[in-house]
Amino acid sequence: MADPSASYLGKTLIEEISPVVMVLGTPLVEDSSRKNGLSFVDTLRPFSLFHDIDVPVRTASDQPYRLHKFKLRLHYASEIHQPDVEASEEHLKNVVTRASDVDTSDLRSDPPQIDSLLEAAESESLPSWFQIFNKELIHIASFSEHEAFDHPVACLLVVSSKDEQPINKFVELFDTNQLPSLLSDSIMDPKILKHYLLLHDNQDGALETDIKMLTEMRSTFGSNECRLLTINSAEDGSTDWQDNPWIPHKIDASISQDLGCLLNMDDINEMKNFMQDLASKHIIPHMEQKIRVLNQQVSATRKGFRNQIKNLWWRKGKEDAPETSSGQMYAFNSIESQMRVLGDYAFMLRDYELALSNYRLLSTDYKLDKAWKRYAGVQEMMGLAFFMLDQSKKDVEYCMENALSTYLKLGSSGQRNVTRCGLWWTEILKARDQYKEAAGVYFRISNEEPSLQAAVMLEQASYCYLLSKPPMLRKYGFHLVLAGNRYYISEQRKHAIRAYRSATSVYKGNAWSFINDHVHYHIGKWYSFIEIFDVALQHLLEVVACSHQSVATQELFLKDFLQTVQKLGKAFEVFSMQLPVINIPSLKVLFEDQRTYGSVGAVNIKESLWKCLEEDMIPLLPAARTNWLESQPKLSKNLKDSNICVAGEPIRVEIEFRNPLKIPISVSGASLICQLSAEPESVESAVVNQADNNVDGNSSATVFQNDSELIKLKRSWEQDAGSSFVLSEVDFSLGGSETTVIQFVVTPKVEGILNIVGVRWKLSDSVIGYHSFDTTVLKKKTVKGRRRGGQYAKSPLKFTVIKSLPKLECCIHHLPSKAYAGELHRLVLELKNRSKFPIKNMKMKISDPRFLNAGSLDDMKIEFPICLEKRINSKESIVQPNDVEGSNGLLFSFPEDCVIEGETTFTWPLWLHTSTTGRISLYMSIYYEMENSSNDIRYRTLRTQYDLEVLPSLDMSVHVAPCPSRLQEFLVRMDVTNRSSSESFLLHQFSSVGHNWEISSLPPDGAVHPSQMLTAGQALSCFFKLKKCNDLASEGMPSSTTLHGSDVRLGPHDSEKALFDISRAPLANFHSYERLDQGKSIQGSSNVDFILISQLKQNASAASDPPRLFSHHSCHHRQESKSLIHLLVVGYNGVQETFSHEGCIIVLPIVLRNMHDACVIVVIDQAASQVDVRGTALPSNGNVWNPVKNPREITQGTDGHSDICISFSPPYTQTLTNAIWGSSTPGHLQLEDNSMTRSGSRTTTLTPNTYKASRRVIAWFYHPSHGNWKRPNLARKARFVTINNLN
Amino acid sequence: MASTGCFIIVSKNDIPIYEAEVGSAAKKEEAAHQHQFILHAALDIVQDLAWTTSAMFLKAVDRFNDLVVSVYVTAGHTRLMLLHDSRNEDGIKSFFQEVHELYVKILLNPLYLPGSRITSSHFDTKVRALARKYL
Repeated sequence: MADPSASYLGKTLIEEISPVVMVLGTPLVEDSSRKNGLSFVDTLRPFSLFHDIDVPVRTASDQPYRLHKFKLRLHYASEIHQPDVEASEEHLKNVVTRASDVDTSDLRSDPPQIDSLLEAAESESLPSWFQIFNKELIHIASFSEHEAFDHPVACLLVVSSKDEQPINKFVELFDTNQLPSLLSDSIMDPKILKHYLLLHDNQDGALETDIKMLTEMRSTFGSNECRLLTINSAEDGSTDWQDNPWIPHKIDASISQDLGCLLNMDDINEMKNFMQDLASKHIIPHMEQKIRVLNQQVSATRKGFRNQIKNLWWRKGKEDAPETSSGQMYAFNSIESQMRVLGDYAFMLRDYELALSNYRLLSTDYKLDKAWKRYAGVQEMMGLAFFMLDQSKKDVEYCMENALSTYLKLGSSGQRNVTRCGLWWTEILKARDQYKEAAGVYFRISNEEPSLQAAVMLEQASYCYLLSKPPMLRKYGFHLVLAGNRYYISEQRKHAIRAYRSATSVYKGNAWSFINDHVHYHIGKWYSFIEIFDVALQHLLEVVACSHQSVATQELFLKDFLQTVQKLGKAFEVFSMQLPVINIPSLKVLFEDQRTYGSVGAVNIKESLWKCLEEDMIPLLPAARTNWLESQPKLSKNLKDSNICVAGEPIRVEIEFRNPLKIPISVSGASLICQLSAEPESVESAVVNQADNNVDGNSSATVFQNDSELIKLKRSWEQDAGSSFVLSEVDFSLGGSETTVIQFVVTPKVEGILNIVGVRWKLSDSVIGYHSFDTTVLKKKTVKGRRRGGQYAKSPLKFTVIKSLPKLECCIHHLPSKAYAGELHRLVLELKNRSKFPIKNMKMKISDPRFLNAGSLDDMKIEFPICLEKRINSKESIVQPNDVEGSNGLLFSFPEDCVIEGETTFTWPLWLHTSTTGRISLYMSIYYEMENSSNDIRYRTLRTQYDLEVLPSLDMSVHVAPCPSRLQEFLVRMDVTNRSSSESFLLHQFSSVGHNWEISSLPPDGAVHPSQMLTAGQALSCFFKLKKCNDLASEGMPSSTTLHGSDVRLGPHDSEKALFDISRAPLANFHSYERLDQGKSIQGSSNVDFILISQLKQNASAASDPPRLFSHHSCHHRQESKSLIHLLVVGYNGVQETFSHEGCIIVLPIVLRNMHDACVIVVIDQAASQVDVRGTALPSNGNVWNPVKNPREITQGTDGHSDICISFSPPYTQTLTNAIWGSSTPGHLQLEDNSMTRSGSRTTTLTPNTYKASRRVIAWFYHPSHGNWKRPNLARKARFVTINNLN
Repeated sequence: MASTGCFIIVSKNDIPIYEAEVGSAAKKEEAAHQHQFILHAALDIVQDLAWTTSAMFLKAVDRFNDLVVSVYVTAGHTRLMLLHDSRNEDGIKSFFQEVHELYVKILLNPLYLPGSRITSSHFDTKVRALARKYL
């Protein structure tokens, strides 16, 4: 460790614990000094510090040593008393306030960084006023009676030469009662060293009389103790001090220029000599002598074993003495006082060993006497002596701790000493680099002090933490905050701010939210107190968006913030304010280039869906790898990395705003900030421009200078507002913790390059917030990923504005939002061209033609639903639904000559059929080309999307069963259920589709369900007859070519209402889509489709409305039957026969129909047949069919999988005699799939009778691949054959 | 039960990941930041002390007026800090050990990112129950 006396504390001790010289002067002396603007003491003070006095000193030991640095403390006698508490506090306050003016001039600058603080701390450039303050604090505790080093060692009596009778004056000066209480109360030895000085003011005359007077004095007071001092020798104000020696000693602010103006070099030299003589020739020898005398006394009475025993004994006897801590227990001549004086003198003359030994003795005495204040004082001095001797740390600490705690125990009387002791202790610790401990001591003494002193102590503690190794930054910050708090309490706002500001460097960027809020909030508030509003707002801004605080705190923060903004008196602009929070990833840009949108919903549909829909509608361009633009090399470079928008068409930007607070906030005038630069002259300049923008973007992402960014945004806001584009302004309010999406609109008016830079809003009508869209962040996000997969990542906020283009607006009239299933609507598509240019070549594509279909212009001519009704001359209306099949039926081209002129509207009918229930989204894209396609964009598409909700209505199911008696006829059962919740339906018409089917009611001329009404929940079954009207020749034709059908009217038979034509568009179209939807089209005419047409029963109030039509489609019905082969024997009701020759030959035609898909071989064995005689009138023996052959065994081979053999075999072997069967067809019949054949069966009878051709068994066999024979299904067909005898 | 208490878990990056005011005293708004200040400042001491001992429980490391800071440092250098005014060292030790166990369970959750804020309400109720039990 370095020499302790070289440390700061060592130097301080040499200055502070030094002999006090009491100065007594006459008023005239003061007058003379005042001419220089100084008191007499102040005049001499610069010369009382000797840097190299070089005096040999010999104290108790015989070994002399030399003193180099030495100081005398000059005080007026009136100053030698304990300073007044209030005055001293005032004084301290002045010190601090003055420091605040000097120190806090840079309040507007940025708070210091932690690194620079550490550097500053290491180079010890801490605020210098701490030392001044500490010194003042120590001075408060001076001139205490319990310590001797503040007691005057000598007395300097000064009389002016102008005084009358100077000798008497000298005597008077010392004898008056104005002597300090230390002397008058006999706490110290009144026999003090006196020195007499005669002051001569050169301006008042010559020296002669003074020299005379001096000799007189010398004869009176002794030759050595008298002296003459001449001052004011200089001419009037002529002396101009280059290096004024008084200025460093004048700590008061009033430094006047003429300090010492009347003193010239001679005067100064004289003063110097005088002071040096006083110190070296009078004071030091005097002290030496006194030390020696006292030391002898102490050794005689206290040292040695005997004295110690005696002392102990004697002390014990004194234990009963009253316990007074600072009473007049020890007069100056008591041994304790003398020891103290001895110790202090030795300390002052730097014989620390001697001092220490005396203090040791003394401390035990005081302890025994329970004189705690004195004890503490002695302990304090011991600690200092230990320090100066550079002895063990432990001793120092023990002593200082002892002293401090003892002072603390004393309460208020020891308070000042606590501070002094603590300060010394901290200095000791600091000198030994024990900063942490020093900080602890500072903190301890700060608790005992009023807030101002405490604040300074705490701040010093914080610096100690900063200086400790390693630096304890968090402690540093904490103590700074504590100090700042105390400063604020003692109304030192600037200091408070300074302390807090320093603390922010510690807390910057940490996650301890309450700490950050506290610090920033208080700094902000205090700044606004001292009316530096802009800085105040910067700090308040930090806390205003505190989501973790309670509601009350949030309100307080916000209120203070807004108040400060108001006090600022002008609009306050903030960059990237956190209130409300902007969710940048949520940013969505909606714009229209060649794709335009007809509805809000359409915008939110995935691009891929649209692309899929428009696939074969928009023209393909050669080599269009990523987009169509690449085919235009001239523009590609420019346009590749920016989106295209059209002048005059709005760009919508959607951003999510979130309120982080629990209290509502209101935002007004929110709008986008945009830049629109004119169209670049050439590609190069555009590229440069682009590059510039890129550079800007990068720098903003990395460096992110808030201020410059703000200025940039502001400039672009002010520059372009309203000139070349139109911005929307949005007002909204956000409730507590609410999130809302706000849509902004910008409409460019001229061509150029549009950049959306940021957003600007007003909070509570006073704070203007700016937020820039950081494009680098956005690029990573898929923002409404138009043209995703492009090679170049584009900024979604950069647009190339091109010349305004025609834009179609689309609107569909009469589109219901709610409909019942099966409902049929005629809609009107209205296209509006607002521009001046015509539009041509329009095409339309609809996502689901099952629901929506384009009609024809003719549909518009007649009112709905009459247009659907059957017309008499239906020739012209046969519409082949051919456009349904082409390109999946999705694309509809408007007629070639269809051109929408500028500023006109165009209408086209659409048909809506709600075939399924549930929520239905319909997408529609209309393609159109511009007449003047000089522009970059030659075509555009208009995308619209509609949602509708479809409720259940009727539920139709159809069951077709073959008619048991007719091969070509079927029975149809239609079950219909009303599934709606409240509505009633009127059934109107039931139709079958296809010209080869004919449907009729059952019974043939009866009315089906006359009431027509089907109420909610009701179910109904109707029966119809279905007849295949064409013969076999028409089979095999594709059934879907025409949709002719036959209809049955439901309801009263004589209804006047016309039937609806299902063979024309749109019903036919919808039907074919239904067919597609309801299943794979199975070839063959055996499938039949049905359409049920009904109406909604309307209330009386809505009677005037057009009826709401419904059509329900049920497709792909097959005639169901269990058997594979249908056989029909056509009988006769009566045959007239004369029986003229042998018998009557009757041909019974057999119709066979194969219901199977495969080819079938049928064998009809006539011999196995038999005929029952039904009648009983004829003789039983003569009218019996006779079998010709025996039943034949089934012999056919195993050669085919699907071979089917049929044979007739009799169940009974009963013989019939009078009828013989014969066959007109070969035994083997090959039946193609689904085909019919006729065969004949001949029989001969002899007698008239009624014959029953039943009991005929057709057995057919299915022959599977494994050769397993299956039990045949039996089908029995019977016909009566009646043969009447004509005779 | 102590009248005042503030329990906080500080991640190894000095970020508080869990905070709870425990104790019977009514919650004061201004106390919140004071407690944070004290605990934050105590981290300096913990930083020095943690490497001088192998024990996890560092006992009372710092004090501010009558408030004492007790610290428990886990192996991952997560610090459990308790600000209290009672002298029940055994109880505090048990409290820390049990909370440590809870914290380890939180760490075992694969969805918990170490060093992030603990938002589990289950953890919160458990910690408060432990505080009632031991402090």
